[in-house]
Amino acid sequence: MTVSSRIAFVCPRFAEGPTVGGAETLLKNLAVRAARSGRKVTFLTTCARNHFTWKNDVPPGSKTVDGMEVIFFPVDDNRDVGVFLRVQEKIGRKAPLAMEDEIAWLQNSVNSRTLCDHLRQNSGAYDRIVVGPYLFGLTYFVSKVLPSKTVLVPCLHDEPFAYLSSFRGMFQSVRGFMFNSAPEKELACRLYGVSPQVGSVVGMGFDPFEADPAAFSRKYGVTTPYVIYSGRRETLKGIPLLIDYMAAFRARTGRDVKIVFTGSGEIDIPADLASHVVDLGFVSETDKHEAMAGAIAFCHPSVNESLGIVILEAWLARTPALVREASRVLRYQCQSSNGGLWFRNYAEFEEELLLLFDNVELRRSLGNSGREYVLREYSWESVTPKLLVALDG
Amino acid sequence: MVVGCHPESEWNQDMNDSIFKINAPGIDVNKVVAEVQASVAEKKAKGCYADPRVVLAERSNLANLNDEDEFLEFYLECLRDAVFVDINDFQIVERRTTFGGALITLKKIIWKLLKFYTYRLWSQQNQVNGLLLSALEAQESRNREKIKELEERIAKLEAGNTSR
Repeated sequence: MTVSSRIAFVCPRFAEGPTVGGAETLLKNLAVRAARSGRKVTFLTTCARNHFTWKNDVPPGSKTVDGMEVIFFPVDDNRDVGVFLRVQEKIGRKAPLAMEDEIAWLQNSVNSRTLCDHLRQNSGAYDRIVVGPYLFGLTYFVSKVLPSKTVLVPCLHDEPFAYLSSFRGMFQSVRGFMFNSAPEKELACRLYGVSPQVGSVVGMGFDPFEADPAAFSRKYGVTTPYVIYSGRRETLKGIPLLIDYMAAFRARTGRDVKIVFTGSGEIDIPADLASHVVDLGFVSETDKHEAMAGAIAFCHPSVNESLGIVILEAWLARTPALVREASRVLRYQCQSSNGGLWFRNYAEFEEELLLLFDNVELRRSLGNSGREYVLREYSWESVTPKLLVALDG
Repeated sequence: MVVGCHPESEWNQDMNDSIFKINAPGIDVNKVVAEVQASVAEKKAKGCYADPRVVLAERSNLANLNDEDEFLEFYLECLRDAVFVDINDFQIVERRTTFGGALITLKKIIWKLLKFYTYRLWSQQNQVNGLLLSALEAQESRNREKIKELEERIAKLEAGNTSR
């Protein structure tokens, strides 16, 4: 096996400051680890920070971050949002789609001609191109530049976009994959006929931390028990469901429980629940970890995940997880770790949250099991060798 | 405070019993979830979740209809309890202490005046809600039977093909 010493990582956004997103964080962390292992890493990204507008917020150019060169390329300015949304609406309702519609959708997604040109002009300068997540035009067109050198980090989940023929072609043409979890790999094999030998489950590593469970309530004055969610607050992440469930839980059980949110995005909170929601927005890692440590449970209501990064963080803070059964990946994580419970409907959510609410021993046991699992499976000592094998394969 | 069908004290006793069985230190989440599901099934049968608040909470979970047959049945059951909105008189309260009594009287007068106009509309809306739910339930039950019949026919045809 030859060592791939010069590696380009490509992601539409670079995880820095308020730019949060699981896939961006994952790609950046993998790149930093590859650089620390002595590989020459260049991170190619766009000047965009906002994944709705894809506006060029950062000036083009390069800088050094954590031992790697990060180059920012402008997003193409000829994006036709109307066409993009029209086709996307069709994809959303799984309507039959012609190949030219798929291509129009990809062309009017986020793209950067200058980034693709850079790869074409410097094709000999890179041994591997690691790109993700799968559903952006940029990822699709980058994978076409040098497919034999391309390793895809798909962050795939079962959603209408995953069924496009273009993506089937992309998955079948690239050199390899770095999956986040076993269910994600199974999905890729099922949808695209990918051979299980081609890709491996790498995931993301975490540095262990200790967080004081009482620190958050001291700092923010939240004295009642609370459930926490951290990350992007969007409909697709299941936030409306969490809010509706918590409102019903409070009303039916009479328990005084709050919801704490950290992360980015707007939340639509009903007036009668507003005083029981603590929206901290973007906070420091320390504050986030302390908030997690003090919570009854970390509730992740999303069904579209390829790896529950925030759940792994919550487990490091010894907090149990509460997830939806419909999310195969999050349920798999809970089952593998014995660190969380899953629900199909409100009734099960109520029963499980009450169980966690009333039983400190159960919470402690789930939290400790979760932490042991993360230290065992998702420490950098465990993930880095898998990353290097995937890069060299 | 009532949780589902049980008074809180009774519910807590149930939970303590179940925790004893769960044996937290050597946790098996599959077992815990299975136990929760069994408990929910039992409470569902008793009508513990036939509650308008559950219907409201489940509105974001309707995507489940794609892959869980039982969910629609459960949702309709909850809806049955929520469909007839209470349009009767209610206790009028006022949180402000200053002029509290006067404000309550004023609100009562406004309510009495409005009731004359709104009662007819609301009762008609309630009737429509009830009729729509009945229609939906009838349709759902007919579809269920039809699907069952078709599945049985397919199974018979497939069995016939294999034996040939």
